Amino acid sequence: MAVTLAIPTALRQYAGGQASISADAATVGELLRAVVEQHPDLGRHLFGEQGKLRSFVNVYVGDEDIRYLDGEESPLRDGETVSIIPAIAGGQPEAVSLQHSAVSPQAAAGA
Amino acid sequence: MLKLQAEAAAAISAHAEAIYPNECVGLLLGRFTSETRSVVAAFAVENRWEGQVQLSAHDRPDSRRDRFYLDPRDYLRADQAARAQGLDVVGCYHSHPDHPAEPSERDQAIAGPSFAFAIQSVRAGRASELRSWLLEADGSRFVEEELAVADLG
Repeated sequence: MAVTLAIPTALRQYAGGQASISADAATVGELLRAVVEQHPDLGRHLFGEQGKLRSFVNVYVGDEDIRYLDGEESPLRDGETVSIIPAIAGGQPEAVSLQHSAVSPQAAAGA
Repeated sequence: MLKLQAEAAAAISAHAEAIYPNECVGLLLGRFTSETRSVVAAFAVENRWEGQVQLSAHDRPDSRRDRFYLDPRDYLRADQAARAQGLDVVGCYHSHPDHPAEPSERDQAIAGPSFAFAIQSVRAGRASELRSWLLEADGSRFVEEELAVADLG
C-alpha cells in the first residue's frame, strides 16, 4: 500500500531535502520505520533514546493526531498522507510579575 | 539570513501589538535560497497555550502572557496556505511582551538550523525590535542570524 510521509521544512535537510517520501506501509509505525531506515539522521530527530517519538514531534494522519488514534498502530489507507508536524512552544525568560507587566512611567508618558 | 517582505514585517508587529500583553505566534511563509530565507507573508495563528507541554516546573495553563503554543493543526493550515502559493513554511515568529527579542530556555522546537525563529519584542504595547534566530542542529542553543526588511518584488 503506497502512502506518503510529509516532512516539515525544519527536518527536510535530514531527509535528503525531500518534502515528502512515499513508502509501502499498512500502519503509521511501519511508514516511520521504513522512512527512518532510509534516513537515519531523520530518525535521531524524531525518536528519543527509548525509541519513542519526541514530545515536540507530532504525527498526524490527515488532520488527526495519532495520539488520538491508535498511535503507531494506526492503520493507513492506500494513498493516505501522514504528516510530521513540529510543535513549537515557548515563553519568556521569567514569569511575568507585576513589575514586568506594569507600564513604566516613561512609557505611560508616551516616551 | 532572513529577508522579510516589508508587509510581512509590518503584519508581525501589528499582530504582536494587537495581542499584547499576551504573546502572539505565527508562521513565516516564503522561499529557501541557499543560506537565505525570504519571507513573503506572515501567517498569524492563535496562541493556544493551555499547558500542553511542560516548559518549566511552574507552568500556568492560563498564562499566555509568558507562554505560547503553536498548535499542529494551525501549522498544517499554514503549510497548506504556503503550498497553495508555491511557498514553504520557512520559520515561525512569536512576541516577547516587555522583554528583549532573545530566545529563552523555554523556547523549544524541533526547528533545525534551516528554520527561522523570529522574535518580536513589544514594549508597553508598541512593537520594538524584531530579531531572528536559528536553533543549532543538536538543539543546544539559538544563534542569531542577520535580518533584513526589503521589497522582495
